[in-house]
Amino acid sequence: MTNVELQQRIDSEYRWGFVTDIEQEPFPKGLDETVIQRISATKGEPAFMLDWRLRAYRHWLTRREPGWATVHHPPIDYQSIYYYAAPKSGGGSNRPKSLAEVDPQLLATYEKLGIPLREREALAGVAVDAVFDSVSVATTFKAKLETLGIVFCSFSEAVREHPDLVRQYLGSVVPYTDNFFASLNSAVFSDGSFVYVPKGVKCPMELSTYFRINASNSGQFERTLIIADEGASVSYLEGCTAPRRDENQLHAAVVELIALKDARIKYSTVQNWYPGDAEGRGGIYNFVTKRGECRGDNAHITWTQVETGSAITWKYPSCILRGDNSVGEFYSVALTNHHQQADTGTKMIHIGRDTHSTIVAKGISAGHASNAYRGLVKVLAGADNARNHTRCDSLLMSPDCAAHTFPYIEVKNPSAQVEHEASTSKIGEDQLFYLRSRGLGEEDAVNLIVNGFCKEVFKELPMEFAVEARKLLAVSLEGAVG
Amino acid sequence: MITPTAYREALSRIDAPGKFAAARQSALEKFLQAGLPDSHLEDWRYISLEHLERMPLHAPADPPLALPALEDYPGAVLAYLDDRLVWRDTTLPATMLGTLADAIGGAAATSTPVAFGSLAGNASLTQLNAALWREGACLRVPAGERLRQPVFLRFAAAEADAMLYPRVFVHMAVGSDAILVEHFVGDPDIEYWQNPVTEIVLEAGARLTHLRIIEDSKLATHTGLTAVHQASDSSYRALNLTLGGQVARHELNLVLGESGAEARLDGVFIAAGRSRTEQHLRITHQAPRGNSRTLYRGLADARGRGVFDGRVEVRPHADASDAQQSSRNLLLSPHAEIDAKPQLEIYADDVRCSHAATVGSLDEDALFYLSSRGIDADTARRLLLEAFIDEALGLLDDTGLRDWLMPRLRASLPRGQAMEPLS
Amino acid sequence: MLQIRNLHVAIGGKPILNGIDLTIHPGEVHAIMGPNGSGKSTLAQVLAGRDGYDISAGSVHYLDKDLLPLTPEQRARAGIFLAFQYPLEIPGVANVQLLRTALNGQRRARGEAEMDAIDFLEYVKDKLVLLGMDDSFLYRSVNEGFSGGEKKRNEILQMAVLEPRLAILDETDSGLDIDALQVVAHGVNSLRGPERAIVLVTHYQRLLNYIVPDQVHVLAGGRIVRSGGRELAEELDSKGYAWLDDKAEFIEASP
Repeated sequence: MTNVELQQRIDSEYRWGFVTDIEQEPFPKGLDETVIQRISATKGEPAFMLDWRLRAYRHWLTRREPGWATVHHPPIDYQSIYYYAAPKSGGGSNRPKSLAEVDPQLLATYEKLGIPLREREALAGVAVDAVFDSVSVATTFKAKLETLGIVFCSFSEAVREHPDLVRQYLGSVVPYTDNFFASLNSAVFSDGSFVYVPKGVKCPMELSTYFRINASNSGQFERTLIIADEGASVSYLEGCTAPRRDENQLHAAVVELIALKDARIKYSTVQNWYPGDAEGRGGIYNFVTKRGECRGDNAHITWTQVETGSAITWKYPSCILRGDNSVGEFYSVALTNHHQQADTGTKMIHIGRDTHSTIVAKGISAGHASNAYRGLVKVLAGADNARNHTRCDSLLMSPDCAAHTFPYIEVKNPSAQVEHEASTSKIGEDQLFYLRSRGLGEEDAVNLIVNGFCKEVFKELPMEFAVEARKLLAVSLEGAVG
Repeated sequence: MITPTAYREALSRIDAPGKFAAARQSALEKFLQAGLPDSHLEDWRYISLEHLERMPLHAPADPPLALPALEDYPGAVLAYLDDRLVWRDTTLPATMLGTLADAIGGAAATSTPVAFGSLAGNASLTQLNAALWREGACLRVPAGERLRQPVFLRFAAAEADAMLYPRVFVHMAVGSDAILVEHFVGDPDIEYWQNPVTEIVLEAGARLTHLRIIEDSKLATHTGLTAVHQASDSSYRALNLTLGGQVARHELNLVLGESGAEARLDGVFIAAGRSRTEQHLRITHQAPRGNSRTLYRGLADARGRGVFDGRVEVRPHADASDAQQSSRNLLLSPHAEIDAKPQLEIYADDVRCSHAATVGSLDEDALFYLSSRGIDADTARRLLLEAFIDEALGLLDDTGLRDWLMPRLRASLPRGQAMEPLS
Repeated sequence: MLQIRNLHVAIGGKPILNGIDLTIHPGEVHAIMGPNGSGKSTLAQVLAGRDGYDISAGSVHYLDKDLLPLTPEQRARAGIFLAFQYPLEIPGVANVQLLRTALNGQRRARGEAEMDAIDFLEYVKDKLVLLGMDDSFLYRSVNEGFSGGEKKRNEILQMAVLEPRLAILDETDSGLDIDALQVVAHGVNSLRGPERAIVLVTHYQRLLNYIVPDQVHVLAGGRIVRSGGRELAEELDSKGYAWLDDKAEFIEASP
């Protein structure tokens, strides 16, 4: 196909870019200990939480932004961000007790995003926690889950209702000292989701959080904590969107997963934050720390991510394989177009014996975008018979894009087997011609090839999400081939 | 912060012509300002040079304290001892093969090689070499000329705690062809530090086969740099063997600067005892139709640590670039470590790049199979190790140097507990 | 159905086809033969709409319309099918996915209703039987890990599913053993019909023992140097292509 034909194609609009006009209750811009005290007070937190937040804040003051990722952005002014923004009708102790009390405008917003929150309309088998700017506004199917002893609620609620669980597990996988953005999150996080699945319980439905940034000049700092007790299992989905704005907005979340003996956690993300426009104006800075720990034997954690949004993505969902026989998996599709930048990958830390990890990372780079895989596979001396297999492929769609692969492999045990393979190539002209000669339009041909390229990852997603992910990829790639 | 006295003292003892004295002084100041590289630098995350700061390093005595027992080399030879040329055995004219000091500054200087100093970059260790190299070596092969015999450069160390700065410049003119062997050795019982820099320019269509063998003392530190620039349709084939040294790091910066250049980089490293070795490769595809193949095999035994850090960068418009990288490694002891960092950095779209890295151990099934055929366990192990590294030794046949090299390589292979040397 | 007039094609300034004239009517089977490098495959690729060829002179009309401005997919939807000499592998894309997407794309273009998954399976089953393929073919990635013979059969399967009006088979016989050749030939023969034209591009006349052509053309030096009936193929088989060299040189030399 010719470049002229390509340029004639019109880039699709970001369909989730609308703004909800709702009364906000922001704190003043900027960050100091008073702001943190206010966040904690607004949420009615116990003293241990405020104490933890303040320690995190004081640590954050001593840290610098990490500079090693292959991403570039103007300096972030941390004093010009609103650290807390909540819809007036939903924040803090005003949080509605039931869906009937939720501001109809919020319900309409989520409906418009394709996430109906009224249970009778909701997807059967998916419980949703909806986070709007800084707070969780609604959680569906709570009562049904409670009968099984499963706790699925907003983080704020968990702090109030289950302080012992929070105290025991918060920061136990990602301590507040972990990195610059994790420290910041620990100091100011406003809400997020909390899941506890008790011993032996298999959660019967998908749990899901839908994150929405709405307010301007605000940062979103949510925190998710998922605990699967012995023999428990849970599948968790996460989706996110934000309005189109010319400014960059910071999203610095932390997710901690804890899988005890024989437990299984499957965490899937379809990340579609506003990516900025075709010239690279605006978009979300997605600086996220996600880590899971297989704390007991035979535990199993799977991360699956489809990353199509954000101006900059910086995230490395990781697994600490502490329990013997535990398994960590990471399946990722990262697509960057226009001026997007992604530096993403995973860390697999093998500590226990007979631990296995699998990494499948697919990067697609188009326009002027840059896409890097960065990963660490570390086998400690005690991890007898550890196994890792990593497959890392990049597809290049334009002469101006960039694709990088930065794997780190560190092995201290001779019975380990670690294999890493990576390839980078252009989307095949011959393949495109072959498909077009069968009557497929060039866009369909590209989509078919890209979907084939990503198949290993998509098959790890729950059904509805896989369909969504395919559509998202097609939309994000419109006008991308060159 | 490093104490500058030893370095200043070393510089004061170099009798350089005036036009170079200033450059040397400035290079030394740059080094002193930057200091030794440390683990804060991404390129030095695995190898530490801290021990150098505790050593009583000094410039070697002049003239050298002892003359070495020379071994036979199947080709032309320049042999250096403690940075001084002590033996020359070649029929090549001095304009083709001689000391670098003569080539660029001495009475016999014809013309200063144009690219001298321009490839090596300005890392702090390179600055130090630029300040303190002594005689050096220079190989210049004229256009169309094909050297019949390999050229051997032997850099030996004999004085304890000496700092040595071998410096080599190679210029391969249009269509020339040669085999170069750099051999780094040292008195087995002493500590010293070799910090060599070799620059290689390949003009259009030139071909160089380059063997580089680190066989330094088990107590030595070796931090070497090879910088190569390739013009169109030139061919650079290298075999890098790291068999010795307590700390041995080799950095290879290769630029495929014009279209159609081809590079093949093979290597074997063996980290035994408490040694640390690092192979640090930077391959830059700057022009279209470049082809690079990297094939390294690594072994880590006892408390050894082996590092493979290879990066391929394809610059914008270097279309139809093809880069393949393979790093396979074996861990032979519960206390050994292998780190691999194969990287691709791609800024063009019409490329075919891949890398593969593995870390594992000797195949138990294969060992058992060989034992079941009556081969004792140690022999079986050695057979498998030899087979494992052999994939990277193809150049030995192409250069006819297999017979010369294999005994050294075998001697360096990790032995089992009660290993009898193979006959 | 297809009229090629004085077609000149070059690649990167190098002339490959130097004035091809060829007319094909519905229901006919034409064989285009010639030595390696004579331009046979170039002709097939140009008809399918591949980029990268400079068409410096001449015209191609298909169903009385100018073919050359059309994109590959427009040509396919208009009923042109090229069986590739080297079918491409497309990892992760199931064969059935390609077949159904392609068929429905063509049906949409013709204003026909799309076929749903169940109807499509019924439809494709018969075609599989025709080519002696089992269901598992449908669910493997397109041509990935297929043997040479399987790839060629897969091309004919696609042809059977898409039911083109003009099928161009580029060296479909190469690399096939005699059994596979018979299966492929049987598949092609069963697709012969009064509305459909078939062009066989081949180096050897072996295939023509099984698929009997109405006309045979010999391509050399980028031109059709002889046309005739089936007997021409047999003549080539006994004499080889050597005699053509003189003739081609003669043609090159002539003003």
